[in-house]
Amino acid sequence: MLRFIAGRLATMLLTALCLTLVVFFLTNLAPSLERVAKTQIGARVSDAEVESWLNRNGYGGPMLARYGEWLGVMPGWTSAAEDGGLAAGRCLGDTAAEAGAPRYCGVLQGDWGTSTVFRDEVATIIARSLALTGKLMLWVLVVMVPGALVIGVLSGMREGSRTDRGLSTLSILSTATPEYVSGVVFIAVFASSAVGLRWFNGSATSAMEQATFTNFTLPVMTIALYGMGYIARMTRASMAEVMTSQYIRTARLKGVSFRALVLRHALRNALIAPFTVIMLQIPWILNGVVIVETLFNYKGFGWTLVQAASNNDIELLLGVSVVSVIVVLLTQLISDLGYVYLNPRIRIS
Amino acid sequence: MTQTKTPGSSVHPAALMYAEEHRSGKLSRREFLTRSTALGVSSAAAWGLIGLQQPARAQDEPVEGGTLRMQMQTKALKDPRLSDWSQIANFYRGWLDYLVEYQNDGSIRGMLLESWEANEDATEFTLTVRQGVTWNSGDPFTAEDVARNITRWCDSTVEGNSMAGRMGTLVDRETGQAREGAVEVTGDHTVVLHLQDPDVAVVANMTDYPAAIVHSSYETGDPSEDPIGTGPYLPAENQVGVRQVLERNADHTWWGTKVYGGPYLDRIEYIDYGTDPAATLAAAESGEIDATYETTGDFVEIFDSIGWIPSEVVTAATITVRLNQNSAPYDRADVRRAVQMAVDNAVVLELGYNDRGEVAANHHVCPIHPEYADIGPAEHDPAGALALMEEAGEADHTFELISLDDAWQAATCDAVAAQMRDAGLNVERAVLPGSTFWNDWLTYPFSATEWNMRPLGVQVLALAYRSGEAWNETAYANPDFDAALARAMSVADAEARSEIMAEVEQILRDDGVVVQPFWRSLYRHHTEAVHDMEQHPTFEHHHYRWWMS
Repeated sequence: MLRFIAGRLATMLLTALCLTLVVFFLTNLAPSLERVAKTQIGARVSDAEVESWLNRNGYGGPMLARYGEWLGVMPGWTSAAEDGGLAAGRCLGDTAAEAGAPRYCGVLQGDWGTSTVFRDEVATIIARSLALTGKLMLWVLVVMVPGALVIGVLSGMREGSRTDRGLSTLSILSTATPEYVSGVVFIAVFASSAVGLRWFNGSATSAMEQATFTNFTLPVMTIALYGMGYIARMTRASMAEVMTSQYIRTARLKGVSFRALVLRHALRNALIAPFTVIMLQIPWILNGVVIVETLFNYKGFGWTLVQAASNNDIELLLGVSVVSVIVVLLTQLISDLGYVYLNPRIRIS
Repeated sequence: MTQTKTPGSSVHPAALMYAEEHRSGKLSRREFLTRSTALGVSSAAAWGLIGLQQPARAQDEPVEGGTLRMQMQTKALKDPRLSDWSQIANFYRGWLDYLVEYQNDGSIRGMLLESWEANEDATEFTLTVRQGVTWNSGDPFTAEDVARNITRWCDSTVEGNSMAGRMGTLVDRETGQAREGAVEVTGDHTVVLHLQDPDVAVVANMTDYPAAIVHSSYETGDPSEDPIGTGPYLPAENQVGVRQVLERNADHTWWGTKVYGGPYLDRIEYIDYGTDPAATLAAAESGEIDATYETTGDFVEIFDSIGWIPSEVVTAATITVRLNQNSAPYDRADVRRAVQMAVDNAVVLELGYNDRGEVAANHHVCPIHPEYADIGPAEHDPAGALALMEEAGEADHTFELISLDDAWQAATCDAVAAQMRDAGLNVERAVLPGSTFWNDWLTYPFSATEWNMRPLGVQVLALAYRSGEAWNETAYANPDFDAALARAMSVADAEARSEIMAEVEQILRDDGVVVQPFWRSLYRHHTEAVHDMEQHPTFEHHHYRWWMS
């Protein structure tokens, strides 16, 4: 078991390393660097000014060396001032050279760098945005998981019944509607004066500080509905399969009531498949978060990713990638471990 | 008001002449006000010269206190002289004041300057610094501060310093710094500017948003880190892309309270909703904001319909669909003129900007500018355009018009492209998101540039079309134009300058530099609770005027 977990963690590190290398390469192509310079010193600067700015700010060195600086295995860049002293450097901070600044300052030293767009520590920004997204995800899971399981179990326990057909139609409909469609429809119907209902807010900006039923319902529902249909379908399939199995028939013949049959005998076995699906759904939610946070102007992790990518904010983008890798692989790990727990027939050695 | 001059006694002679012209109907009131205040006449005196009382502003008694929430893109702050977005300036405007301020009526009034005066031929300006102003650090504000800031602006060796171009007549071309003796402190509260060439626009240039006045302890970088300024607010929160908050500085007595009144609000929150106006609308309907930064296009009507109060201002802000003369086939004047002739500017105004503005005539000088000369509307002749293009041998060329993915800018370019197609030319459109557009926008051969207005017509022409200027993305270089513009900038006399401007405008249009289809009206919407928050022609936020009931 421990070897399995260690192996998974090693995979995680390797994936993060490869992904950041790719991201680093793409964000450090010449046109991308030019864009960074232009957002820093103004849209109307000449090529020579861009060049000199890049050299003075540590973008001049070879790409792999700079990746090493970010990792913390190469000494951070410095640039000389006119009087011969140090003017600026990766490890020096904003002000002029401070005595005793470390030579290395990368991820290995716990320094995630600075965002060029937000002018703040990457670690601070990611912590702030993850907290906001965590709040959103929590409410999405609270709505989505029980909802999906109830729908799935209800429709799966009597396959082919009217309830089953009705709920199946609904769940297929909800899972077939991507967030960028349902979100827009929700805003138009429930939040704008175009239809006139105006039950909820079409913007979740105020939910960042204080989430209320009014300002948080639409973003939560938009993400939750998409995943809900999918998980419900999986639960239904799994439930329907369990309900046809031998031991259920035996229990039935023994005279167990339908209610007890479903709750006591069928449910645990039927939940193995949905558990994996739910865990795998978490990276998908992260995906939906990108769209929904942008649509509802909620400044969490997904929004930060969009801003970092569209502004070519190199170090922020690298930080975001590492966190994403961790989230995806960690949920997979939990899903595998949980699977073992739920299904005694599976062994991890 | 602390104005000591009385009309007719020590007023600049040109101002008296302008007043005469206004009375005889040659100058509109707005033009008169801009021209005479640029020469150092106070706005009250200027109104007096034409026999009118300056209109009183607020009818209601302003209420103290309250928090105003406004939609605005919150951008990372920069050294003020490097600022390239009005939004940046609107945040630091809370604690940094300006020397002078451009008013909605077209006049310029003193802020940290009490008054200013030009000599006969506009080569020497005497600036009188306001007395009794202190920095929020406790230091007194003196003529030295003014001189130091002007010298900062003149440093053209700093990358992206756009003030250097505006202060061009004070800069030594050799060193790229302020010329020796150009900025002279002659007393505790007097500074004299000695210009190399006559420039009527030098004070008007100081209204521009990068011209915020910084403290002697400030070097460069984010001014909110150590917010020493003379203004009434302080930055309380600065989260780029999320929120920027200004809070009333309780420990500082703002000089303007006894001069102009205000400030009234305790707190001003700028909240970022990105560039999509639909997000702003959703925020407005959710009650998350009290005012918009700017309302554009169809959203003007939508905001009207949800019961928000509109504020409209007619401006010389515009868009130029411009052709870069460094790239073929736009290096030939015939091709450029054919493009101009294919386009009916009135149609572009209607389709591109919902008819919310005035039709322009491809020469980038607006009727509200003091030096405007009417040289007739732009020529619209689709058949002639095709003929001219065939003559130039480029009738089969496929023109690619690149624009930003922004509602009205894209619509304007669409309208231009559609009319070119109607005239029989091949046009392709590319609409790029901001992330890719801004990287290369200066080099796109055929694209659009948005221009904010400047109080004087010569100011924009000098920034945008003089040979080799930093902001000249048309790559237009015509010595005749430069010479004519230089002459215009030296002439204080209205009639004479207008005559030269007719020539300047004609050269610019004959060379087919830009399709400049319309002058934009700018809109802002706010709730009923917000008062005295008119949209400003150059997007300036005069926080001290705003109040909420």
